[in-house]
Amino acid sequence: MREKLARWIVILLLLVTVMGVAAAWKARSDEGILHARLPEHGGWIPGDLRATVGQPLTIRMTSDDVTHSFAVGQMDMQAVNINPGEMSEVTLNFDRPGKYTFYCTRWCGADHWRMRGTIEVSGAGMEEPVKYEPPLYLRLGLDIDAEHHAQFLPSQEPSAARGARLEHRLPQQYTSWEYYISHSPSSAWQELRNDRSLSDLSDAELWDLAAYAWAQHSPPEAVQTGAGLYKENCAACHGETGDGEGVFANELAGDTHALDGHATTTPTDFSDEEHMLGAAPAVLHGKIIRGGMGTGMPYWGPIFTDEQVWALVSYLWTYQFNFSMEVTQ
Amino acid sequence: MKHWKKILFWGLAISLGLVISLAPMPVKATSSNQKLFKIQASRFAFSPAVLAVNPGDQVTIELVSQDVVHGLSIDGYDLHLVADPGQTASMTFTAGQAGSYTLRCSETCGAMHPFMVGKLQVGGNDLLWRAAGLALLAVIAGVWWKRV
Repeated sequence: MREKLARWIVILLLLVTVMGVAAAWKARSDEGILHARLPEHGGWIPGDLRATVGQPLTIRMTSDDVTHSFAVGQMDMQAVNINPGEMSEVTLNFDRPGKYTFYCTRWCGADHWRMRGTIEVSGAGMEEPVKYEPPLYLRLGLDIDAEHHAQFLPSQEPSAARGARLEHRLPQQYTSWEYYISHSPSSAWQELRNDRSLSDLSDAELWDLAAYAWAQHSPPEAVQTGAGLYKENCAACHGETGDGEGVFANELAGDTHALDGHATTTPTDFSDEEHMLGAAPAVLHGKIIRGGMGTGMPYWGPIFTDEQVWALVSYLWTYQFNFSMEVTQ
Repeated sequence: MKHWKKILFWGLAISLGLVISLAPMPVKATSSNQKLFKIQASRFAFSPAVLAVNPGDQVTIELVSQDVVHGLSIDGYDLHLVADPGQTASMTFTAGQAGSYTLRCSETCGAMHPFMVGKLQVGGNDLLWRAAGLALLAVIAGVWWKRV
């Protein structure tokens, strides 16, 4: 009888111990810490956060391997560094419901851009349906995956400063925003060449005029913003000089995932005239926000604001055009 | 062995040993040069990992990260570089006293991060040659001791 009782007590004690350990373990892992890991080791854990409008969301974060960083796409915020062995904290305020994307801002391998998560923000304002607007390239009916070789190439780098001296000759339609976004520099040059009123200008002068028209939509502040974004987000693959020879370029070129839909190709060389001068700004805009299917190019739509994307596009033109307003020759 | 022979042996061995360990090395031309090193950092190594310079050289290091965020610091120098992939970081400093200084990755880059090291070799490696000389002397003295 006594022996039986002792047996039961031992079993009970063992059960309590096991449950206690399990509960403590659960409490520890439920502390609400956001773990950052290399994408191949899981990326953000957890990858889906929730928040409510008007209630500040405080996130405690740590890294399990290398230096990462936290930022929310399209939000005006300073990225927060996350170092292994250290705790970082960030408090976010949302004034509109919706699905936000948070991402790592410091390159941590060729797959770094896959390190993204979402914050589902609910609350007041939900009644208002979010108006869906198709992306620009769809509204313009552009096929951003089509080949776009420039038919005409300049013999020297077109200069906006030299173009400015012929400004009075440039018909107004060429400087409009609508014209800019939907035409490649090569097609703009072609139209200028076909314009009878400009027949006395040389080919090079028309290229300068095209550069001048493009410069109207690429103010120095935008180019500077674009340069900063390029350095942080694009240079790792496309190269610091835009030549497509970034540190991950080899990795992308040697990819063997062609059959499973994860194929990658060599990053675009922005100094390649034929490729760049044949692209309309809206095509570049579309490629940036949607990414390149089957090329390894990430999609930046949920990350960059429209203004930032256009700033990047402006910066990309500096690989083809000299926007400097100082005449060098 | 005779007494005077013993004294001669020890006197010769000790004085030769002192000469080998303390004699000043011939001074090479010390006009300060500019040296540029482009170091590729990847988990968990620097390439090149050994930088040979002379005291007084203007050393420029360009750090290119190949995978994750890496850093570079050098023991004995108050320097710190951080390189993100796609953002080459560079610094210039003047190499100081001769010696061998350890390069370390200063940004935690994974499990083997503490072993991501390199070496800044300032000046020739005197110590090695002096040690080799002393070892040679010991061998010769040993053989001689046996024979006489």
